[in-house]
Amino acid sequence: MKGLLIKDFKLLKSQKNFFVIIALITAGMPIYMEDSSFIIGYMTFFGSLFTLSTISYDEFDNGNAFLFSLPFSRKSYTLEKYEFGLIIGGIFWLFATVIAIIAEMTKNSMMIKETLMTALLMVPVMIFLLAIMLPFQFKFGGEKSRIAIIGAVGLVVVTGLAAVKIAELFHIDLAAVFNSLPAMGMGMAAAAGIGITVLVLLISLKISVGIMNKKEF
Amino acid sequence: MLKIENLRKNYEDFSLDCSLEIRKGCVTGLIGQNGAGKSTTFKAILGLIATDGGTISIFGKDIRKFTARDKQDLGVVLSDSGFSGYLTVNDVIPVLDNLYESFDKSFFVEQVQKFQLPRSKKIKEFSTGMKAKLKVLVAISHNAKLLLLDEPTAGLDVIARDELLEMLREFMEKDEERSILISSHISSDLETMCDDIYMIHEGKIILHEDTDVLLSDYALLKVDAEQYEGLDRQYILRSKKENYGYSCLTDQKQYYMDNYPKIAIEKGNLDEVITMMIRGGRL
Repeated sequence: MKGLLIKDFKLLKSQKNFFVIIALITAGMPIYMEDSSFIIGYMTFFGSLFTLSTISYDEFDNGNAFLFSLPFSRKSYTLEKYEFGLIIGGIFWLFATVIAIIAEMTKNSMMIKETLMTALLMVPVMIFLLAIMLPFQFKFGGEKSRIAIIGAVGLVVVTGLAAVKIAELFHIDLAAVFNSLPAMGMGMAAAAGIGITVLVLLISLKISVGIMNKKEF
Repeated sequence: MLKIENLRKNYEDFSLDCSLEIRKGCVTGLIGQNGAGKSTTFKAILGLIATDGGTISIFGKDIRKFTARDKQDLGVVLSDSGFSGYLTVNDVIPVLDNLYESFDKSFFVEQVQKFQLPRSKKIKEFSTGMKAKLKVLVAISHNAKLLLLDEPTAGLDVIARDELLEMLREFMEKDEERSILISSHISSDLETMCDDIYMIHEGKIILHEDTDVLLSDYALLKVDAEQYEGLDRQYILRSKKENYGYSCLTDQKQYYMDNYPKIAIEKGNLDEVITMMIRGGRL
């Protein structure tokens, strides 16, 4: 697994100019932006999604055939992509959070606490994003997975709208249901959030391993 | 070392059905035209594709039970696949070092220097010869017991091919237990390297013979129509109509030399044997 991680970091290094530019843009953002917390979300997604690019790099020029003749199992390959996404996302998250906090401090902003909250909230959001995107990428590869994800998002929106319509039909006040949620308390909500995130990640991982085990190269 | 029994794989327009065996200490060749099933066979051996029947075992172990640890003992070259072109030789070294328990880094670096492979240039910018040498180097640098080489010499000039085959010879000399399965559509590569040769055509093995026997006992008989009529055809494998009469492939050259001193007998080479096996008609 370590060998695979090194390979992905080397692939990332081959794109280092691109990353340097993005990092510079990010560092410059707080100068003209009121709310620095935006860069945390932006950078975290940008970083963690590079793991999807490494899957495309692996596939490019039929590289997977040779890659999968090397001594690792298909399961370790799958696990490594999750791990790599979390590591890279984590590094970018940390970088962006530090920049945002520094920016807030230099501006003497009162929003440091909010920025920290946003930063913490970004962690499960990043994990969710990886958990959803990775199985698509494993199944469909670079180009097709984008279309598949658009399709899936569309499906979620349609399902949501349908749920609202159905609720209206049965005279259920959804707003009231959501309003009663804060009553759970911050601690409960955080625990539930962490629990759901971990569960979603594990389910995603299981699906991805299943997809990879069936693949032919 | 490697045993394939009745391996089957069906595609829409192609089906593979082959059996072959590689013995310890031997170099076995697999020769066939483009699209004959060589690469499919390699991919099946490596578990890269699902098969529709038959068994494959390496070191006596069914490949379906093959683990990452077992794959340590294989060295692989695939014709149409290799390390990502975005990596450099310098990038590949720590990757191999961490993947293979017995990766011989100093040997690898030494060979890279010997073949003047650029260490910090992206692999996609390498010439065909450089890419091929790197692939073989990767395969032979971790003390593998079995090399599976699919078209390692494809697209190479004579000198690069020679250097590459020399690398393989040195690899075999270091340990008598090592074996190689090598495929090619260039017969001279296999003639000089292999102990035995399998010929594959349209997904089926049509001939298996020791290279020595192939070169010493196989021959082409060139006969006119009259000679052809009087010929004892029990040792004729294939025959083909030519403008002068017939050319016939035999695996008993001596028999015809002794009994038909007047007919023209040409010593067989691999190319002719292949052409006759594929183009010639059975009697």
